[in-house]
Amino acid sequence: MPPARRAGGIAGDGISFRERKSKMYAVDSPTTPQHGSTGGPDAQGTPGRSGRNRRGESARTPWLLSLPTLLLLAGLLAYPLFRMIVLSFQNMRLRELITGAAPPWVGLDQYRSVLTSSAFWSVVWHSVLFTVVSVAVSVVLGMAVALLMRRVSRGVRLAMVVAMMFVWALPQLVQAQIFRWMTDSDFGVVNYLIDKIPGVSFANHSWFVSPTQGWLVITTLVVWAGIPFLAITLNAGLTQVPKELLEAATVDGASAWQALRGITLPILRPLLIIVTTLSVIWNFGLFTQPWVLRDGKPEPEFQTLATYAYTQAFGQSRYSLGSAIAVITVLLMLGVMAFYIRQMFKIGEVD
Amino acid sequence: MVATTAGTARARRRRLNPDAEGTITVGRSRTSTVLANLTGIVFSIVMIFPVYWVLNTAFKPATEVLRFTPSFLPQHPTLDNFVSAFKAQYFLQDMVNGLVITGFSVLGALAIGFLAALAIARFQFYGRRAIILIVLAVQLVPFIALLIPLFLMLQSVSLTDSLIGVSITYIAVLLPYTVWTLRGFISGIPRELDEAAMIDGCSRAQVFWRIILPLTGPGLVATSVYGFIQAWNEFIIVNTLNSPAKQNLMAWLLQNQTTRGTAWGPLMAGAIITSIPVVIFFLIIQRNIATGLTAGAVKG
Repeated sequence: MPPARRAGGIAGDGISFRERKSKMYAVDSPTTPQHGSTGGPDAQGTPGRSGRNRRGESARTPWLLSLPTLLLLAGLLAYPLFRMIVLSFQNMRLRELITGAAPPWVGLDQYRSVLTSSAFWSVVWHSVLFTVVSVAVSVVLGMAVALLMRRVSRGVRLAMVVAMMFVWALPQLVQAQIFRWMTDSDFGVVNYLIDKIPGVSFANHSWFVSPTQGWLVITTLVVWAGIPFLAITLNAGLTQVPKELLEAATVDGASAWQALRGITLPILRPLLIIVTTLSVIWNFGLFTQPWVLRDGKPEPEFQTLATYAYTQAFGQSRYSLGSAIAVITVLLMLGVMAFYIRQMFKIGEVD
Repeated sequence: MVATTAGTARARRRRLNPDAEGTITVGRSRTSTVLANLTGIVFSIVMIFPVYWVLNTAFKPATEVLRFTPSFLPQHPTLDNFVSAFKAQYFLQDMVNGLVITGFSVLGALAIGFLAALAIARFQFYGRRAIILIVLAVQLVPFIALLIPLFLMLQSVSLTDSLIGVSITYIAVLLPYTVWTLRGFISGIPRELDEAAMIDGCSRAQVFWRIILPLTGPGLVATSVYGFIQAWNEFIIVNTLNSPAKQNLMAWLLQNQTTRGTAWGPLMAGAIITSIPVVIFFLIIQRNIATGLTAGAVKG
C-alpha cells in the first residue's frame, strides 16, 4: 500500500526524550538492576514482596500483550505471503476462482514463463532505470533545497516550507490526478506554457506517445511529490551540523563546496542513507502514478513491476502468474529492505 | 558515533547561544543572499503551482475549463463543480463508507497496537527484538504483492465487497506503524513514574490505567490522526476488493476518471473535497511525521 509506505518506519516524537531519559536513568539511578540498563524492576521480577508471582506474570504478560498484534499480522500478512508463494507454483485462473476447485500444481512453469518473457524484462529495466534516476534526482534536489533553506531569509523560508507542506499533505492519488489534468493533451496547462516559448508548438501534444516523455512526466511527478519529505528531513538534519565547524572552515579558507563535502555531508551520512533507502523502496514499488496517468490501463512501456503483477492477476485473472511476479519483486527488493532494517536497528532502536 | 558528536556539539552551541537558529553569515555576500532568496521564491512557486491549478480549475465553469488558453483566475467563479461532485453517483455513499472503514480500522489498530507497544516499550523479554524486527519488516512488504492472496482469502470467506473485509485488512496495514509509533511515546514516559506508583501500592493494571494511558494521550491522538490519513488515502485495496457502492472517496476519484474522463472540473472539485480532511490533519501533525520518519538518525 504505497501511501502507508510513505511513512516507513515512523516513531513517535517522544523518542529523543526517552533516550535521554533512559541514559540518565542508567547512570544516575541507584536502583538500576545490574543486568539490562532499561530493564526496570518489573522486568526483573523483583525479589521480595510477591516476588514469585510477579516473575511468572512478567514472563507471560508481554507475550499476552503482543498476541493480538502477532495473530493479526500472521493472519493478514504472513499467511498471505505464504499463500502467494504457494500460488506461484500453481495455475490459478478464473475458472478455479469461480468453481472453487483446487488449482493444479505446475511447478516452476509460472516462473519459467515470467523469466523468459521479454515483456517482463523490459518492465524490470524500466523499474530499475526509473528508480535510479528518480532517487538520484530527488535526493540531490532535496539536499539542494535543504541547503537553500539555510541561506534564504526568514520570509522566503516560510514560503518554501508552506509550499512543500501542501504538496506533502496531498493524497498520492490526488497528486497524480492533478498531473494528469495538467498534462492533458487538449487542455493541459503544461502544453499551453511550453507552447508560449517562441517557435515551439505544443498544442494538442500528447505526452504519453513517446515512452521517454511519458516517463519524464511520471518522474517529475514523483520528484515533485518526494521533495518535501526529503528537503524538510534533510533540513532538520542540517540544524545538527555545528555552525562553529562551518565558520572555522570558512575562516581557514575552505570554499562552500569543500565545507559541504568535508563537514556537512559526513555528519548527514546516516540520515542520507535512511532517506535514500526509503526512496528506493518507495520508487521501486511505484504503482499509483503510472496507473492514474495511464487511466488504469498502462501500456507495456509504462508498466512497473507492481502494475504488471496487478494487471496480470486482476486484469487477466492469471492469479498465479501475478503471484510469481510479486515473489520475484519481493526477492529483488529484499536486499534493500534488509539494509534499511539494519540501519533502523543501528541508529533508531537504541534500547 | 557521528550523530553523537553532532549531538554534543549542538548542545554546546545551544549553551553558548540560546537561539542559534539563524543562517550562517560569515563569508556571504549580499548578491548571493539575493540570489538564494530569488531561487527560493521560484522554487516555492513551482512547487505550489499544481496545487493552485487544481483550485483554479475547480472554481471554473465547464466552458472555461475546456479551453486551450486557460485563464489563470476563474473569470466566472462558480461552485457548480462541487455541486455536481456531490450529486455524482456513489459520492456521498463512498464518503460515508470511507468514514466507517477509516474509523473502524484506526480504532482497531490503536486498541490492538497499543498492547504490543506496551510490551515492547515496558518489558524486557525473550523475543522482544524479534517482535521489533517483525514490526519493522512487515512495513516494507509491498502490499500490492499480498493483494492477490488476500483477495482470494477474503473471497473464500465471502468478505469481498464488504466493509468488514476492507476494515480488517486496513487494521493489518496500519498496525506495524501504530505499534512502532506508540512504542516511542510510551518509552517517553519516565519509568520512575511507574515505579513510584507501584511503590505507592498500584498494581500493574492500575499503573497502566492511571499513568501510562493518560500520559500517552497526545501520542494516541497523533497516531490515530496519522492512521486516519493512511486509511483515508488508500484506494488500491478497496478498489480491488469492493464494488463502487462499497468503496471510499479515493476509489471514487479513481473510478471517476475512467467513466467521466473529461469532466475535469467536477474531478478537481472532488479531489479538493477528498483532500481537505487529510490536508488539515497532516498540517496539524506534520512535526511528528518529519521527526518520526527517520527516528534516531538525527539526535536532538
